Amino acid sequence: MSDHREDWLKQLDERSKQKQEQFLSGIAAKLNRPRVTEKPQRPLRGAPEFWEQFELSEADKLDMFQRNFEAAGGYVLSAATLADASSIIASKAAELQALHVLRQDVELLEQLGLEQALPQVNVRSWNDDQHEDWKARAAEADIGVVLADYAVAYTGSLALMSSKTKGRSVSLLPTLLVAIVPRSSVVTRLGEVLKQFDEPQQLPAGIHFVSGPSRSADIENDLTIGVHGPGIVYTIIVDNL
Amino acid sequence: MKVSLFITCLSDAVYPRVGETMMRLLARYGIVLEFPNVQTCCGQPAYNSGYWKEARAAAKTIITAFEDSDFVVTPSGSCAYMVHHYPAMFEEEPEWQEKAIQLQKKVFEFSNFLVEVLGIQDVGARFPHKVTYHPSCHGSRLLGVKHEPMALLNNVQGLELVPLPFAEDCCGFGGTFAVKMSDISGAMVAEKAEHVIETEAEVLVGLDMGCLMNIAGHLRYRNKPVRVMHLVELLYEGVNYSDEHAANRA
Amino acid sequence: MSTQQTELKGTVKERAELALNNDFLRQAVRFTTERLRSGKLKAAEEHGNWDEWRERGRQIRLHTIAHLDYYLGEFANNARENGVHVHFAETAQEAISIGLEIAKAKQAKSAVKSKSMVTEEIHLNQALQSIDCEAIETDLGEYIIQLANETPSHIIIPAIHKNRYQIAELLSEDAGETLPPETSVLAGYVRKKLREKFLQADIGVTGCNFAIAETGSIVLFENEGNARMVSTVPKTQITFMGMERIIPSWADLEVMATLLPRSATGQKLTVYMSGITGPRRAEDGDGPEEMHIIILDNGRSLQLGDPEFQELLNCIRCGACLNACPVYRHIGGHAYGGTYSGPIGAVLTPALQKNVAEWDDIANASSLCGACYEACPVKIPLHDMLVSLRRRKVEAGHDNALERIGMKGFATVMSSVKVYHSALKLGKIGQKAVVRDGGIRVKIGPLKGWNSYRVAPSISKQLFREQYSELRSELGQQAKEADPAVAARMQQWLTGRDGGASHE
Repeated sequence: MSDHREDWLKQLDERSKQKQEQFLSGIAAKLNRPRVTEKPQRPLRGAPEFWEQFELSEADKLDMFQRNFEAAGGYVLSAATLADASSIIASKAAELQALHVLRQDVELLEQLGLEQALPQVNVRSWNDDQHEDWKARAAEADIGVVLADYAVAYTGSLALMSSKTKGRSVSLLPTLLVAIVPRSSVVTRLGEVLKQFDEPQQLPAGIHFVSGPSRSADIENDLTIGVHGPGIVYTIIVDNL
Repeated sequence: MKVSLFITCLSDAVYPRVGETMMRLLARYGIVLEFPNVQTCCGQPAYNSGYWKEARAAAKTIITAFEDSDFVVTPSGSCAYMVHHYPAMFEEEPEWQEKAIQLQKKVFEFSNFLVEVLGIQDVGARFPHKVTYHPSCHGSRLLGVKHEPMALLNNVQGLELVPLPFAEDCCGFGGTFAVKMSDISGAMVAEKAEHVIETEAEVLVGLDMGCLMNIAGHLRYRNKPVRVMHLVELLYEGVNYSDEHAANRA
Repeated sequence: MSTQQTELKGTVKERAELALNNDFLRQAVRFTTERLRSGKLKAAEEHGNWDEWRERGRQIRLHTIAHLDYYLGEFANNARENGVHVHFAETAQEAISIGLEIAKAKQAKSAVKSKSMVTEEIHLNQALQSIDCEAIETDLGEYIIQLANETPSHIIIPAIHKNRYQIAELLSEDAGETLPPETSVLAGYVRKKLREKFLQADIGVTGCNFAIAETGSIVLFENEGNARMVSTVPKTQITFMGMERIIPSWADLEVMATLLPRSATGQKLTVYMSGITGPRRAEDGDGPEEMHIIILDNGRSLQLGDPEFQELLNCIRCGACLNACPVYRHIGGHAYGGTYSGPIGAVLTPALQKNVAEWDDIANASSLCGACYEACPVKIPLHDMLVSLRRRKVEAGHDNALERIGMKGFATVMSSVKVYHSALKLGKIGQKAVVRDGGIRVKIGPLKGWNSYRVAPSISKQLFREQYSELRSELGQQAKEADPAVAARMQQWLTGRDGGASHE
């Protein structure tokens, strides 16, 4: 970034800190009390207590996840091993006559061996080459393959956390999305995943919950699938990972 | 024990039969309602339009009327609920505010009084007609009177209760709203009346004459022969019918 | 795309009349609100304990607003730590000016936008167009109304007032070819067209559903994927947020994520829920390089410390009140005349603008049925707030002269039973001229509105209070014994209430 721009941004930041003071003092004045600078006491935080007790067995969790994900228009399949998962992806690629597949640059996804399973297809791995235009690659990909960090049964959602190797675009731009979910990563409640982000840590820039294919009912309430995000979404739950 | 009647200006002036039937019905249980004559109106029309000074003028007659009552019974969920606004209305007059707080504890909408206070769900009525029920907004949503009218209606012999589609939708009365925003109100009452007609009920029953006057007025405008009654009128007619029946068989 | 937006003319009453006469609009609004309302009821019931969740949502929001100086400060500081450039704007003007400054610095030629009521509020698109930066709405409904040069008529489904033929016409013009009025074809066209725009845009503009104070993150809820596009693809991101959109932690987000989608559309969760914490990390392959958050006041802080309106800031913009409101259902969103419509709009529009003299009659477009309060996931007493607005208008002397006179008359009559009784006696005489068969049908003066749709009743020949003494003596003579069970219950009630004291 140019010096000029850096200066400009610094200026903006200075201005903003002053404005912040004004804003916060203004708030305290309107509330008729001095500024609160210590973390306030809070007896109630998060979901009602009874909700924290809600926990399903593994079988029930998987069942609930499947029902919810499918009700939203997604597909859920099981695979005993990564090799099985790989076959499933290969068959979808054939069905779709896919030319480009993009996967996250993650060990477990490498083990899928898609490059070998789909020799006619251009299989790329996210961000493994800094000179590539990865957004364009994602936009032209027919299939995006990601490793989900969690799956939430109660809402039928996949949780995806971004990083160097796990680009957000991989789950967003391709036409069809495949998410590999280790069986052990399925939890009951959304809060189980969310609570982790309250632990002190550097959060990823993008935390995305995906609960099915993209949709809209904006035209006369008529449901249409695949508006901006992937219109076809598969979750493959893998047993032994 | 002093049990008083809060008649409401609407029933007083236009639907006195509501007051009469309530008195006759409760007399069967040995309760003869007192009627403190200084009461005029709960003040709601002024209150809702933002004229709180004028609303207080009316409210004072209500507070005064029932100062020494033990129970105050009213045939309107709307007017009963209005009393709950009194403490806020009299923020600047602590004496009246205190009296308002006391009054709040004693005011009961009619069906709520019958079921929750007196413990009566079956008045021994017989009313062999098809009936549908409209739950007035203030009474059901804000005052919380929901199961009482159902309990009473379900115990009336021969009565066929048909559910009103979209029963909880407002009928469009809203007091001055019907006058100020008459076209919107007209659209709402037309919709409500359509639903009533859909049920093919002979009788529309409710807890609030404001709503009932509104819906009845529209039904009449369209020459629809649905009979519109307050719950207390229906129950009283039902016990009369019952009495006659018993007398005839005796 | 032109920048002029259709000016909303006339009073609420006039606009409402237009709406009532537009059959398609009424059908469309009714169908949509019915679908969303029943979806919400079903979802709430399925989830269970809905009222407890609402109370929890309310408590979280109340607490946050009551300590807004702390949490807003935390949010801003934490966001900065993530590399975000945070800005504060007191007015819509300021927010625009900051936004334009950023766009100019980037020499931005195009900006892609995801749905944001705040950006509607400040009229961002027009401002961007004025510096030759194309502002493109990417939400399907918003894209459609942008082509039509209109404002959204519903918070969640902005184009419900348009039918598929109108939409096909708009999109065909945009495409330069005739598109059939089939949803999937029309949506497919928009997907393709906007793909290009996303990939070429210089700036991505988002709103903010919730801002998490403890980590400086913003959260976006959507179904289409355009908000994700807007916050992933362009190099610069600008997020606009109202200063009250804060919740303390991610744990609290679970409550909001439970209440919002169910209340808005009946979904368990929107297809996408995204938590963005700062611009891309240096090693990431996508995400914006530069991220700005503009925090807007624009009248929100005026509600703080006002016991009648502070709760207004609890609002999570779900639209449930719109779907529950019978008035909204009949007149649609544009009749409200502001950015926000429905019950929340009726209160928010005047409240954000504390100048009573400029208030429209919008607070009068309500029968005070309370359906909005019942539907609200955070229990905002909108029905009470509408009365407060009306009262403030009266107290500031901006009421209608005729109404004021009428109400003075009301007070005179109602403050004394003698005057009241005399007035009714006069009324009984006066009405003789117009009563036919027990009813009044004349459509003159104050009766015009009522009698255009109804037959008015007449004042009874004998008022109740005129019948009372006779009735009383008749019933007193019958002297029925007090039913013992009944008497016992009443006594019990009294005991519970004031220790058994009664007024004999």
